[in-house]
Amino acid sequence: MLNMKKVSKTYRTDTVETHALREFSLTVDEGEFVSVTGPSGSGKTTFLNIAGMLEELTAGTYELDGRDISKLNDKERSKVRNEKIGFIFQSFNLIPELDVFDNIDVPLRYRGFNADERKRRIEKCLDRVGLTSRMKHYPAQLSGGQQQRVAIARALAGEPRFLLADEPTGNLDTNMADSVLDLLAEINDSGTTIIMVTHELTLADRAKRNIFVRDGQISDGPPELHFAAAASA
Amino acid sequence: MDIGPVWRAMLKNKAGFVLIALQIAVTMTIMVNAFAIMQERANNVGRESGLDEANTFALASAWFDEFDRDLMKIRIDEDLALIRGVPGVRSAVASNSFPLRQGGWSMSLQTEPGSQSPDSIGSAIYFVDEYGLDTFAATLIDGANFTPNQVSWQVQNDDTWPATGIITEALAKEIFPDEEGSVVGKTIYINDNDPVNIIGVIERMQAPWPGWTGVERTMLVPQRRYSDFQRYIIRTEPGYRDALMPEIEALLANSSKDRLIRDVTTMEQVRKLAYVGDTAMIRILTFVVMLLTVITGLGIVGLASFNVSRRTRQIGIRRALGATKPAIVRYFMTENLIVSAIGLTIGGILSVALNMVMVEAFSLEPLAWYVIPIAMIALLMVGQAAVAGPARRASNISPAIATRSS
Ligand SMILES: Nc1ncnc2c1ncn2[C@@H]1O[C@H](COP(=O)(O)OP(=O)(O)OP(=O)(O)O)[C@@H](O)[C@H]1O
Ligand SMILES: [Mg+2]
Repeated sequence: MLNMKKVSKTYRTDTVETHALREFSLTVDEGEFVSVTGPSGSGKTTFLNIAGMLEELTAGTYELDGRDISKLNDKERSKVRNEKIGFIFQSFNLIPELDVFDNIDVPLRYRGFNADERKRRIEKCLDRVGLTSRMKHYPAQLSGGQQQRVAIARALAGEPRFLLADEPTGNLDTNMADSVLDLLAEINDSGTTIIMVTHELTLADRAKRNIFVRDGQISDGPPELHFAAAASA
Repeated sequence: MDIGPVWRAMLKNKAGFVLIALQIAVTMTIMVNAFAIMQERANNVGRESGLDEANTFALASAWFDEFDRDLMKIRIDEDLALIRGVPGVRSAVASNSFPLRQGGWSMSLQTEPGSQSPDSIGSAIYFVDEYGLDTFAATLIDGANFTPNQVSWQVQNDDTWPATGIITEALAKEIFPDEEGSVVGKTIYINDNDPVNIIGVIERMQAPWPGWTGVERTMLVPQRRYSDFQRYIIRTEPGYRDALMPEIEALLANSSKDRLIRDVTTMEQVRKLAYVGDTAMIRILTFVVMLLTVITGLGIVGLASFNVSRRTRQIGIRRALGATKPAIVRYFMTENLIVSAIGLTIGGILSVALNMVMVEAFSLEPLAWYVIPIAMIALLMVGQAAVAGPARRASNISPAIATRSS
């Protein structure tokens, strides 16, 4: 379903050019649970941003569900993000001025669902992440783990086929991280494709497939070796 | 439109919005009431004096030799004959004043003789001869003009008033409010006991004081006064005025060494002076309203810019969650719409309240109803325009913000 061929991303500032991705090629099939690991600055977030169409690529081709993404305009890209992709971020990214209900409502309103449909979906997702009782709470009134579960509920509410997570457990303690991972595994079991960036190998292990990124490229071999190498370098 | 969540988010950050709503309310209140004042002033400025202003001018002759009553009579007759004989002059009159001059003579008129009559009505008085009506371009709508033998010289040491008068329709209505038919032939009393027989009614001729509420109340009386200061009002044939002004000035100056010709002025100059206060008021209020509107607009720009910066991250998140650029613009537009609606509702109430106070205190005309919706629409448009720039900037925030900053 996701097919990147020789994708490059170059950031230019006045003084430096950073090649965040170099001829990055990857295919992910429907239903996969892929973890992405790699040293800091290796290009993991850049890859995820391009996969999620938050950023444009500099060179190469990216097809999602057989559609060439580079040919879409801003409105079409927004629509694809809204309907097909769910995002989970390290820092939760809930909107502080809105309560839990309204936060999950945000993408559903952009989708154009009517009030009944939105309510039904919000309640269903909150039930799934076990936070129905917190519907009227504001993000500041929730623990980190609860906030991340609200964020997951928000990502799931649109029933996306594709879930992108950037260090979803980075701000959580081990217990909460485990429960979030359980939730992701369950979501994957029900058919949603997941790509998750993480630097914790124990969490990466729970994915069905691991890829390792270094210097903006996929590198082969068991991640343990690369981590050992990175650590000793 | 998604008013619900926009409104709920505003409630979490009330202070800025409350201030802007109040600013909009105050601006609207001042705008609406300033407009009411301006409208009234503009109506004043637009009123007709009754004169043929484009073709009329005035000048004054001041004699400085020893005063001689009989000599003055001769001089005035000679002057008028001289002026009336100039080709291009339509008519001329010697009078104590003329409309818009801001100085003149007023008397109390009453329907019964006696002092301190409670129903007395103030009126401007112009002393004229049979040329008065034509010179002042007054249209007779009832009765007749003065005949030459009704015109008399003022009698020395006798302040008895002439026995006839011509009044404006406005004055007639004021003195005889219940009279359905003609007022010609009726008698009114001036100077407590002097009877004046109304021989004619003219459509309009203003008193010399444009700011006076009774400015349309005027009476002409057929009398010449032999003062050594004479004011001549001259109406020319169309197009002759500018050429005749210096010509007649020179003619009079040359005819006698014992006088000065002064105050040579067109009616347009007089009008300008008469309404200088009103015009200045209109300008000042226009400026104040524009300034306030600009300040309010800038306030809205400021708050919106601040909100865009404060929400940079959430705008990126919204984009990541599927908001299109127009959806982001709409968010800020909706927010402004809500603030404006609140501000303009309060402003509408305050406007009407202030107007009621002003009507009461300064006997201003009540506000025309349509001023309120016009002001609302105008300020709404200012608000939407002010918010457009920051909203567009917001829509250009990259969705990558959601993963990049933490
Ligand atoms: N907007 C940007 N402008 C310039 N350079 C950038 C920008 N975003 C990322 N980079 C650079 O691109 C490279 C890859 O960054 P990226 O965020 O993808 O790394 P990462 O693998 O996610 O790292 P981390 O594990 O620390 O999150 C880095 O060198 C980074 O400095
Ligand atoms: Mg990263």
